[in-house]
Amino acid sequence: MESFRKNLSVFLAFFTPSAGWLFLFFIAPLGIIFVYSFSETISLTEVELTWTFENYGRLLEPEIQTLFWRSIWLASISTAVCLVVGYPVALVIATAPAKWKPWLLLIVILPFWTNLLIRTYALLNILGTRGRVNEGLEWLWTKADGFLTLIGLGAYDLIGEEFEPIVFLGRWSGVIIGLVYVHLPFTILPIYAALERLDRSYLEASLDLGASQWRTFRSVLLPLTMAGVITAAIITFIPMLGSFLTPALLGRGQVDMIANVIERQFKGANDWPFGAAMSLFLLYVTFIILAIQAFAAMRKQKRSERRG
Amino acid sequence: MTDAIISIRNVTKRFGSFTAVEDVTIDIQPGEIFALLGPSGCGKSTLLRMIAGFETPTEGDILIDGKDVTDVAPNRRPVNMVFQSYAVFPHMSVADNVAYGLKMDRLPGAEIKEKVAEALEQVKLTDFAHRMPDQLSGGQRQRVALARALAKRPRVLLLDEPLSALDAKLRDAMRLELVKLQESVGVSFVMVTHDQSEALAMADRVAVLKDGRLMQLADPMTLYKHPSDTFVADFIGRVNFFEVEEFKPGSAEVRVQSLGAVTLPTPVEFAAGEKLVLAVRPEYMRVRPWDGTGVAATLGDVGFQGDSSIVEVTLESGQPVQVLSGIADTPVLLGLEPGAKVGVDVDLGEGRVLRG
Repeated sequence: MESFRKNLSVFLAFFTPSAGWLFLFFIAPLGIIFVYSFSETISLTEVELTWTFENYGRLLEPEIQTLFWRSIWLASISTAVCLVVGYPVALVIATAPAKWKPWLLLIVILPFWTNLLIRTYALLNILGTRGRVNEGLEWLWTKADGFLTLIGLGAYDLIGEEFEPIVFLGRWSGVIIGLVYVHLPFTILPIYAALERLDRSYLEASLDLGASQWRTFRSVLLPLTMAGVITAAIITFIPMLGSFLTPALLGRGQVDMIANVIERQFKGANDWPFGAAMSLFLLYVTFIILAIQAFAAMRKQKRSERRG
Repeated sequence: MTDAIISIRNVTKRFGSFTAVEDVTIDIQPGEIFALLGPSGCGKSTLLRMIAGFETPTEGDILIDGKDVTDVAPNRRPVNMVFQSYAVFPHMSVADNVAYGLKMDRLPGAEIKEKVAEALEQVKLTDFAHRMPDQLSGGQRQRVALARALAKRPRVLLLDEPLSALDAKLRDAMRLELVKLQESVGVSFVMVTHDQSEALAMADRVAVLKDGRLMQLADPMTLYKHPSDTFVADFIGRVNFFEVEEFKPGSAEVRVQSLGAVTLPTPVEFAAGEKLVLAVRPEYMRVRPWDGTGVAATLGDVGFQGDSSIVEVTLESGQPVQVLSGIADTPVLLGLEPGAKVGVDVDLGEGRVLRG
C-alpha cells in the first residue's frame, strides 16, 4: 500500500478499470433501484420520483408478508437439509485418503460446470409425476402388488388399488429438493475447510478419554467446526432466499419465492417501484444476517483478546 | 514376565510397502518410566499409537494387564495419552477438560468434582480450574493434558514427546516434575522421545529403536556404558570409533591402526573375520601437552563449556577425535596454539568393542 501512495499513476492504472466497472454495473444500477423504490408509477411507461414510502408500506400487506415468510421458511428448511446432508459428506472427504480428496472435491463442484437451467430441467425430468423417481416407485409398487397377490392378499388393496405417483412439482417438497440440490456445494465446501483445519489429535484425545464416536462428534468435532457450519449456513441461506429459477420451474408458480414476485413486478405487473422496494428489502435482510454474524465474530474475538 | 503391565509381542506395523515397526517385543513393568527412544521415523510414535489403540498392528499382539487388546478400540483401553500437541479441548474450561474422561465413565457428579479437584491439585492448577485453554501458557496446557489423562486412573500413561513443545528452561524443570509426578501416582509412564538426554534423565528403562527395529533395551546406565552396537553408542551421547584391524577371538589384544596394539580388559568374543570397532567416549580420554608418551596428536579447537571443554584433536593417523577435558586441564589447553603437538591418553578399561 505504501508503494501505491508513492506511485499514484500505477495505483490508478490498476484501480480505475475495476472501480469503474463496479460503479457502472453495480453501484449505479443499485442507485437506480434505490431511487425507483421511492417513486410512483404515473403511466404505463413513466415513473416519477416522489420520495414516497408507500412501496415499502406495501411490504406489510398480508399477501407479501406470507410470501416473505414462505421464502424464509423454504430457505431455512433447505439450509437445514443441506447442513444435515452436507456435514457427513464433508467429513468423508476430509477423512478420505489424500489421493482421493481432489477427486471427491471435483465431484462436489462438478454440477457447477453445467448450466443451472439445464440442471433444473433435468430435475423436472426426475421429479415429475411421470419422472424417474416415480417410475422407480411404480416398479417397486408393481413388484409388491404382485407379491401380495402371490401370497393371496391381492384382494385387500393393502398398498392401494393402483400406484399413485408422489407429486413433487408445484409443491414445497419439489422446491426444497431443488434448492438443496443447487446449493449443497456451498454447504459442503466451508464445512470441509473447517474439518481440514481441525487438529486430528482433538478427536483422538476424545476417544482416548473413553468417549464413543458419536459422543466425540457431538462434544468435540461439531463444536470445534461450528464456525465452518455457521459460514456454510449463511452462504447457503442467502442465495437460497433470493432463488428465482428453482422455485419458478419446480414450484410451477404455486410455490413462489420473493424473487418470483419481484420478477412479476418488473414484467407482468409493470410496477417497477414496488419491485425495487422488494429487491432492496431482500438486500436489507441479507445485510442484517451478515451484520449479526460479523458482530458475533467480533465479540468472540474481543473475548479471547481479553483473555489473552 | 506375566506381571508385565504392557506386553508388546512380535509387533509389526506396515503402511503399504513401508514397514514402520518390525517384529518388536517389549514388556513394560508396573510403576516404571519407560522411554521409546530413536530418531524421527524410527517407529517409536507408531508403537505408542498402537498401545493407545489408534493403530492396529499388522502382525503380533499387544497385551495390557495380560489381556489381549490388539483389536480393542482406543476408548475401551485402560491407558490414557498426553498428546504432543496436548489436544486440550479449546472450547472447554480446564475443569471441563479434566472432567471429560470421567463423564465418559458415567461417574456420579460429586465423584467427578472430587476427582477433578484432586487431579488439578496434582498438577498445581487448582486456581486455573475455570480458565479457558487460550488463557494458559504452553506449560500449563500440558499440565491440563496430564491432569485430564491421570484423572482417569489409567493403568499406563502414554506421553508423546512430552517436552518437545516447551522452551529449554521449562523443559528441564518439567523433566524433574514428571518424574516426581510418576512417583506420586505410581502408574507406569511410557514416553516417546527423540532426545537421548531426556530419556537417560527420566526413564528407568529405555528402548532404542532404529528403522522400526528394537536395537537395545536396557536401563540408562547400561545403555551408556554397554551399548549393543555402534548406532546405540553414537545415538546415546558422544563417542569416538577406532577401527579394529586385527584381532583373535578369545584374546584381549587387538590392533587399532590409530592407537597401535591395544590390550583390553576382557577378551574379544566376536567371530574371526568380523568388522569391529573400538568405541571410547570422550570423557575416558585425556589431552595434555606432548611429553613423548601416549598417542601423538595435533590440537584442534577447544570448545570451552564452563564446567568442561570439548577438545578436538587429530591423531597422527589422521583420525579426528573428540575429548572431554575436565576443568583442571582446560586452562593449559587453552594456552596452547591450535596445531600444537599433544599427547592423548585413552582409558581402555572403558573402551568397548562393537560390531562396526
